Amino acid sequence: MTPFEIAMPTSLREATGLLDPEDPTIRVMSGGTALMLMMKTDVFHPTRLISLRKIEETASQMGLLPDGRFRIGGMCTLAQMEHNDDLAAFAPVIRQTMRMLANVRVRNVATIGGALSHGDPHMDLPPVLVALDAIAVTEGPEGSREIPVAELHAGYYETVLNGDELIREVIIPAQDARRMTYLKCTTRAVKDWPALGVALTGVFEGDTLEDPRLVIGSVAETPIRVDEAETVIKGRSLTDKVIREAGEAASANVETIPDELGSAAYKSQLVRVYVERALRAVANQTV
Amino acid sequence: MTDMNKQTINFTLNGKPVSAEIEIHWTLVDLLQRGFDLYGARQSCGQGLCGCCTVVFNDKPVSGCLTLAALVDGGTISTIENGEEELDPVQEAFIEAGAFQCGFCTPGFVLMTRELIAQNPDPSEEDIRVFLTGNLCRCGTYPQIIEAVKTAAARMRTTAHVPV
Repeated sequence: MTPFEIAMPTSLREATGLLDPEDPTIRVMSGGTALMLMMKTDVFHPTRLISLRKIEETASQMGLLPDGRFRIGGMCTLAQMEHNDDLAAFAPVIRQTMRMLANVRVRNVATIGGALSHGDPHMDLPPVLVALDAIAVTEGPEGSREIPVAELHAGYYETVLNGDELIREVIIPAQDARRMTYLKCTTRAVKDWPALGVALTGVFEGDTLEDPRLVIGSVAETPIRVDEAETVIKGRSLTDKVIREAGEAASANVETIPDELGSAAYKSQLVRVYVERALRAVANQTV
Repeated sequence: MTDMNKQTINFTLNGKPVSAEIEIHWTLVDLLQRGFDLYGARQSCGQGLCGCCTVVFNDKPVSGCLTLAALVDGGTISTIENGEEELDPVQEAFIEAGAFQCGFCTPGFVLMTRELIAQNPDPSEEDIRVFLTGNLCRCGTYPQIIEAVKTAAARMRTTAHVPV
């Protein structure tokens, strides 16, 4: 391995100052799991790693805001999110997701900011945060931006973040009585990288589902919100017929791409089956 | 420093302050093996999936094979070698249940089991399976491992090891 240097800034501002948008060999490291895998497999050769371990404490804190939204600092670990009771009450799907995401050691170091900015399409958290309508708040030399997580991912391992921009925090709007679930399919071990993930949230008014957000992860270059299937279920009672129609609509409209976890045809079948399962799961939830 | 590939770090290892000269690309497993002759944490899958390299870093179990040694500077490390000469209830339970065959994965399982019982003094079989999903035993002693975890948890609930 070629030599590289490690910088340990103590603030996000200092960290962004060490980045160079023109130089992809300078990278920020938070938990480091994904970058270490890329370095060990010779995919990534850094000249400088900027560790965020020592930056300000607010970056690893989370809590309910006075306006009813929930703030998660960019350096909060997935384990912190898993064990935070306020977050579990605010959006139960997050704890549900964590229990099937990688393993305890990965969750102990991986951070929400890293998980989002890495841009890896095979991740569990991005579709869940899209279905919760979360916003990423960034910090860079030009100041701060608010980017809906739905618009953060631009392609395979690509985001709309500038090369000298970091995710300072993630804000989730109030979910009120919204029901939510996340289902994943893995083809090897249970908590493997997903071959498919389906995140679904929606508000039930009586028997009918209003304002649904249905997001599929791991079948394409970015998480995909499926308007066509949402149109099928919006304002309707979730009968077997409607659920089947929604699964068909999702499968027909999501353009899947093959990867080492399955062919495109296999993934399209997974979309159909798991969209149906997700709809049944929220229909059967007791609030 | 003249050699940019080398760096000196200071940290606490199994309760004692230590320093080490490392190479910048070393992982925590490299640091323990090359710097301190500690071989309990060992790289197996190299991807954080199997748990053989489990090390407790700042009170939390991590994958030693995915942790850069340089980032340990100023921190606290505890390995399977930490502790008294006598075995703890988790190690005793693993031996009694025969919860290993070759033993390569055992340090990782023991460290993760200690963490599980600290978080959850009375884990169900489901809890044990979920928590230890990131540890692989290629000899396939999972039934004995689950038995050992239950035995250790039960004993520790009746002694003062864990506040219940």
